[in-house]
Amino acid sequence: MYCVKKWLPACLLVTLFNTTGCQGVTDDLTPSDSDKRPTVVSGSTGSQPTQSAPDFTAVDTLNNSRTLSSELALADSVVLYFTMWCPICDSHMSHIRSQLIPEFPNVRFLVIDYVTGSVPASRAAQLANGYASFTVLADSNQALHDTFKGSMGITVVIDGAGIVRMNEYYKDGRKLRETLAALP
Amino acid sequence: MKLTPITTTFLIAGAVFFPGTPAYSASCCGGGSSSSLLLPKASHAMIDTSIDIEQYDGFWNKEGDHINDPPGSDLNQYRLNLAYAHRLASRWQASVIMPYIWNDNQYSGLDTQTNGLGDTKINLWYEAFDDVTCVWKIKKLSDLKPSAYFGATLTLPSGVSPFDDVDNNFDITGRGFYRLDGNILIEKTIYPWSTALLISYGKYFERSVNREYGKYVEPYDMNLGDRLLATLSLGYTQFLDSMDTVTYTLAFSHLQEEKAEINGRTDPTSGFEKRSFALTAAYATMDRDWVYKATWGHAIDKDGWGENFPTTDVLTLGVSYVLR
Repeated sequence: MYCVKKWLPACLLVTLFNTTGCQGVTDDLTPSDSDKRPTVVSGSTGSQPTQSAPDFTAVDTLNNSRTLSSELALADSVVLYFTMWCPICDSHMSHIRSQLIPEFPNVRFLVIDYVTGSVPASRAAQLANGYASFTVLADSNQALHDTFKGSMGITVVIDGAGIVRMNEYYKDGRKLRETLAALP
Repeated sequence: MKLTPITTTFLIAGAVFFPGTPAYSASCCGGGSSSSLLLPKASHAMIDTSIDIEQYDGFWNKEGDHINDPPGSDLNQYRLNLAYAHRLASRWQASVIMPYIWNDNQYSGLDTQTNGLGDTKINLWYEAFDDVTCVWKIKKLSDLKPSAYFGATLTLPSGVSPFDDVDNNFDITGRGFYRLDGNILIEKTIYPWSTALLISYGKYFERSVNREYGKYVEPYDMNLGDRLLATLSLGYTQFLDSMDTVTYTLAFSHLQEEKAEINGRTDPTSGFEKRSFALTAAYATMDRDWVYKATWGHAIDKDGWGENFPTTDVLTLGVSYVLR
């Protein structure tokens, strides 16, 4: 019994860490501050900053077909926000609505619903979450998700020349504001 | 407080030598339920195993309005919690709690199953009393004296966080931050009734971030806001003919976390609140060696019961074995 008492905690720890294979464990235990962003060739076609955004066609929740080029023709720049209608996404979108849309009236804010799977369901989620006034693109086949490497909260800024200026998680919205303010 | 490799090493070493107590299971967006793992007086050690079945039922937005999940959604998290408590001295005890987590989510067109270790808790408790304070009748003023515990909990970010290689919050099993909580637990039993108040206040340690949801980003410093948990409970113990006991406990909890900071500036989209109830039935054998527990934690899916946080129900089934 003495041995059990003495070694039980260590056995539990070893068992659990073995079970997980320590995958992803040490990343947060010893956080890194090194910049590991991939390098890209400026002007090449792609989704990363300084690259030229590929044109796309998508259907919004009112069944209108929209293209990146047509949106850019109507505005100084386009912002894509990838939502899955979760609490964090709601917090971000609420912040966009209250803080950024009024500040940048000449920017097109497009919400990309990449999880709902159909136009009617996407429209229902849009209304249920209280964002009827937004333009929501139903990314039913996740084409935009794949093209822009989007996921929950990813925010993409494309300037009037079609160049990607930002592609990262929304966080507090400060980077988005700074990026939009720096556009010509 | 900035987390550097040196402070990280110190924290891990400190965690080994200075453990603490309230079990806190990691959850989607950092939530979860808490329970105490406290050794009875005159006990040498305790092993505790429990299973949490947490079902999500919408969320509260920043305004406190409850929003339902899309039709057809089925969001679940299952946790296996392994815990061990050890008496260090007559008034000191320590414990470690390690959850293993399975996420099983169907959300609109998204269907994900992930699993991994959750955030580990290491606790250290000081008992500010020598004799058991449970009484049957109040005969003198000193019979009113409660049991007071003072503790510290160190959370190790051993889970999978948004800063790891994940696609969204359905995949995570932890917050990604070290946290140190100070805990006070006051409890009093006058059989068959008992009451307890737990207050826990935690501060996170700032860390560097260079990846978000699997995507490398320009590195920055981030810290989550201070966290407060307060739980008030009332219990009733029924003695069976065999002298085994069944204790029923109703608890109310308030959990809140202040806004996070990114490079020293407040993140207005962060912070949350949650209020919930929990009903527990615990069966203990006569010698109190074995304790079987079932808890149903319920959050009210109405406006005003939370902010910026998922609404969940949690069923916990557990068993504890006390080593004398």
